[in-house]
Amino acid sequence: MKAMSGTAIPAKRRTATRSGSRFWAKALRNRYLYLMSLPFVVWVFVFSYYPLWGWLMAFQKFKPGKSVFEQKWVGFDQFKTLFQDDMFYQVLRNTLAMSLMGLVAAFTVPILFALLLNEVRQMFVKRFVQTVSYLPHFVSWAVAASIVTRMLSSDHGAVNDILMGLGLIDKPIQFMAQGHLFWGIVTVSDVWKETGWNAIIYLAAMSGISSEQYEAAKVDGASRLRQIWHITLPGIRSTIIVLLILSIGHLISIGFEKQFLLGNNLVRDYSQVLDLYSLQYGLQMSRYSFGVAVNIFNSVVSLILLFAANGLFKRITKESIM
Amino acid sequence: MAVQRKWPILLMSAALLSGLLAGCGNNGDNGGSASPASGAEASGSASAGGELKPITFSFYSEDPSPNWANMQDDIGKVITEKTGVTLNAEFAVGDPAQKSALIATSGKYPDIISAKGSINKFVDAGAVIDLTELIDKYGPNIKKVYGDQLNRLRYSNDDNAIYVLPSYNGVGHVNFEAGGGFELQHRVVKELGYPQIRTVKDFENAIKQYLAKHPTDDKGNKNIGLTLNADDWHMYISVTNPATATTGIADDGEYYTNPDTLETIYHYLRPEEKEYFRWLNHMNAEGLLDPESFVQKYDQYKAKVASGRVLGLIDQLWDYADGEKALKAEGKFDYTYGHYPVTLDEKYKSTVFWPTGFMAGYGIAISKTNPDPVRTIQLLDYLASDEGQVLLNWGIKDKHYTVDASGKRTMIKEVNDRRVNDAANFQKETGIGSYVIMAPHYGDGVKDPTGNYYTLRYPEQLAEDYSDVEKEVLKAYGATIWKDLFPKEEEFKELPWGAGWNISVPSDNDLTVLDEKLKNITWKMIPKAILAKPEEFDAVWDDYMKQLDKAGVKKAGELRTQLIKERVELWSN
Repeated sequence: MKAMSGTAIPAKRRTATRSGSRFWAKALRNRYLYLMSLPFVVWVFVFSYYPLWGWLMAFQKFKPGKSVFEQKWVGFDQFKTLFQDDMFYQVLRNTLAMSLMGLVAAFTVPILFALLLNEVRQMFVKRFVQTVSYLPHFVSWAVAASIVTRMLSSDHGAVNDILMGLGLIDKPIQFMAQGHLFWGIVTVSDVWKETGWNAIIYLAAMSGISSEQYEAAKVDGASRLRQIWHITLPGIRSTIIVLLILSIGHLISIGFEKQFLLGNNLVRDYSQVLDLYSLQYGLQMSRYSFGVAVNIFNSVVSLILLFAANGLFKRITKESIM
Repeated sequence: MAVQRKWPILLMSAALLSGLLAGCGNNGDNGGSASPASGAEASGSASAGGELKPITFSFYSEDPSPNWANMQDDIGKVITEKTGVTLNAEFAVGDPAQKSALIATSGKYPDIISAKGSINKFVDAGAVIDLTELIDKYGPNIKKVYGDQLNRLRYSNDDNAIYVLPSYNGVGHVNFEAGGGFELQHRVVKELGYPQIRTVKDFENAIKQYLAKHPTDDKGNKNIGLTLNADDWHMYISVTNPATATTGIADDGEYYTNPDTLETIYHYLRPEEKEYFRWLNHMNAEGLLDPESFVQKYDQYKAKVASGRVLGLIDQLWDYADGEKALKAEGKFDYTYGHYPVTLDEKYKSTVFWPTGFMAGYGIAISKTNPDPVRTIQLLDYLASDEGQVLLNWGIKDKHYTVDASGKRTMIKEVNDRRVNDAANFQKETGIGSYVIMAPHYGDGVKDPTGNYYTLRYPEQLAEDYSDVEKEVLKAYGATIWKDLFPKEEEFKELPWGAGWNISVPSDNDLTVLDEKLKNITWKMIPKAILAKPEEFDAVWDDYMKQLDKAGVKKAGELRTQLIKERVELWSN
């Protein structure tokens, strides 16, 4: 949303700055629009830019109770510690692996689901399925994680009971105790929880496609699959790309709720993620500076990813958010 | 048309703007009342020593208090009436370390801080004040409670100030009841004719024999031999600490200190403990250990205990009590647990009751932004007085307790029944139990000048709470309370440093990071070792030792030795 309104305003300004008076005339004409955007500009400044001066901490050995200027400056020491820590690379691997898996899942399953749902002709069925599918989104991860562990439990968990009942296995599998299954479990539970919710935006985009296009295609003898391929998908293409670029920017900051709640000591090597690392080795130990250093790393990587993805799509598909 | 269209836009922007402003305004207000509240009020009463001008202090505690009723309970009202003080309290939920770290950096300190492990953060930030003089002038009762333990209050060798009034440990506390050791369901020992349960082998055999006779419960679900509680920090309680208590050393946190040389090592390096974990590995191989032990979450663990299917536990009562409560409520007393002094073999004795002495360290501090430290100390002094102590523990005379002609204090029967059976609501209404750890206090087993106990836990009362099954089992073992089965406090020499886990590590000490790394390795490798095939156990253990070594376990030991030495020096003069 933020990004889309961002494209609109500079475009306008470019034509306006040709002469100063024209710009002001235009600004005056659009004063209500400017006025409306003002709260958000202030909001962004206060919450996103103003705290940035705290980044100074990363180059200090910060101790509470003193002002910024009384702190000891240590240059890049915090970053050196960070990059020399084996665990950092492990959590980075886990973070990227899980977020890439999540990204792939989040851009295939909900789109497929939305396409299928879009083809349902009976309004009632469509509504019902949609409502049921996005219900899990409103369940907090704490509860969802509990449901998942219960389902996968070896002590009469549903999944094991079904597999045993079908005779596929003769002894319950300890799903939650296997490190190499952990990433998959996180991804699948995320799909279960978010598919319905993520599909909403695609469904909305699909409903914006004019029905004349479908009628024309029908007249030309296109089958339903053809219609999906040639009309529906291209119709939501820009939505898909905007969302994809934005989520690539967030690749590295995936939070830690799911991993924290689903993980246990046996799968630690696969469940620790960057945000949890910065929390445990930063704030919890009063190593404020170190925590900030981790977050700077996070932000820099996110920025690089975002610009790279944007540039790539600009070149290939001629679509971008900036 | 144009005019019509403008209105919604104007309205909208006005609404947004005012919303924003309101948001800011609110923040400002909150900040004001949370931090050094109401300057005018403060300056007015600062000089007035004993006057009861109403004052409100903000209070932050690292310990949760789910039944806190904003001082609107019976006791809270009396405290406000007597001292003029109202506490605006906030209790940390979840891991308090994060919240405390944020408060320490924010510069906006609560007036009164009840800190546990994070006290060093507040001291480092200069957030709390030295209380030495204040206690001297305004705290006669506080001094009386601490008595000759007063020298344990000093912060460090370099800094002799008193920042904390220890309030998480009662002075003179005596443990009446065993809540630890190894636990077996009463039905197990009953059926097997009360065998001796002294070593891990005895424990194992009891479970094995019972399980062979009764593999499933009456609904056909499998009975579980032994389950461990390894969710997050419960790992310490149920998995790693028992390795120390069963091999003859005091449960002293993550390190073992040689009492003579004060040489300190990471306790998992002791060869005895390898044998303890080998036994757990054996239990797993025999199928007696619940395979879900290291996967289950705390709520699942409690649910399992509540199902009555678990024959044996290695845990503390307070950790599994929720599950056991459900069993009691259903009247399945055979399925509740007894405590046994189990050790690795007969050459060790169970160290569950190794005394720590009075534990200073965790307690109440006053922040430098407190508007009126004198009134705060006076409040704490009142709570520490005999009158205050009886109020906090027993409640209000003739409402909650009575005193008979001979001066004996007794809880009114109906009140006590509610206290036991409707604990949460009872605490919310009366406040009994809500205020004890907010001030210096006496421990269980200490008598006041009238000859009554200060607290509600004393030997005579304990046996009354036992079920008939429990009494029967105890009788069979020739005991009246569970503690009788364990080696007594007198058999151990008090450790001159109190307890290692109670020493807070300065935040710029390398030990903070080392400890976390060692913990990560241990929490990963111990489960791995236990679940390994028996023939692979040694290899996994070697790998574990190698990883510890690489992470700097030796350096951690040296740094810890230093801390222990400092503590001993601090407390000995």
